[in-house]
Amino acid sequence: MLFYSFFKTQVGQHVTVELKNDLAIQGVLESVDQFLNFKLKDIKVVDEERYPHMLSVKNCFVRGSVVRYVQLSPPTVDTALLQDAARREAQSTQQMQQAKPNVAPPVA
Amino acid sequence: MSQLQPYVDCKVSVVMNDGRLVVGILRGLDQTTNIIMQSCQERIFSEDEAVEVVDLGLYMIRGDNIALIGLIDEVADAALDLDSLRGEPLQPVKH
Amino acid sequence: MTDVASANAAAAAGPTSSFSMVEEPLDLVRLSLDERIYVKLRGDRELRGRLHAYDQHLNMVLGEVEETITIVDVDEESNTQSVRTVNRKVPMLFVRGDGVILVSPPSRAS
Repeated sequence: MLFYSFFKTQVGQHVTVELKNDLAIQGVLESVDQFLNFKLKDIKVVDEERYPHMLSVKNCFVRGSVVRYVQLSPPTVDTALLQDAARREAQSTQQMQQAKPNVAPPVA
Repeated sequence: MSQLQPYVDCKVSVVMNDGRLVVGILRGLDQTTNIIMQSCQERIFSEDEAVEVVDLGLYMIRGDNIALIGLIDEVADAALDLDSLRGEPLQPVKH
Repeated sequence: MTDVASANAAAAAGPTSSFSMVEEPLDLVRLSLDERIYVKLRGDRELRGRLHAYDQHLNMVLGEVEETITIVDVDEESNTQSVRTVNRKVPMLFVRGDGVILVSPPSRAS
């Protein structure tokens, strides 16, 4: 849930989503869901000359599974907060692991 | 609530994982991005010929094969001159 | 940076209540937070950047990223291959975990 929460803080920001078909789309992040599917508005394909397929598209939905990268604007990212959140997430997922009976117990 | 719900009954452009581009009217969808599209047309781009348009009819596309769904601005789309438009075919998605 | 071997020795010596020990692969990633790491990705891509966040899927946010893409060009006539690399810098980047092959702390980066 860490990155779902993180991307919710990025709503309204300019991002560039790079897909696994090498298409890169610039736009404003409109929304995100738990699968990290994204909705973008005011979009523009980065290499529009080469890929004019989306000239009449201004809003789009990108399926999370085809995302390779999302380029972000550094001033909008609180890196200290992110690191804290990552540590907390690691702790909570580890505790969930240990609660499962079929997982090998930690070394005593 | 699905992010795609506002696109229902609108003209959309779907980029599929194999690189194809399908334009049609979005009629329905589910959680996994399976979609139903009506009056589908494939638009085939090439570098040295006009955009070829092929009628396909009613499609149900499995979510796994969908890369992107774009909401078409119908005014901008009507203004496109597909006969003079040139572009490379989209590459397939490589996982 | 915490040495993995000594962390493991500490883990073997006593109870595992301390959170800084390496018990599972993702612990090594946790210890790399705020460090510059090397990430190898599918599609002949490599990243070097500062790790700001990760999750169990190895989704990550990296800062001050340098990406290297290796491209192999095949000359059909002479049937020879030439390898070239393309570099680019990205100041802040989210990386989807399904493309990650391996993660290495900076001291082990080639």
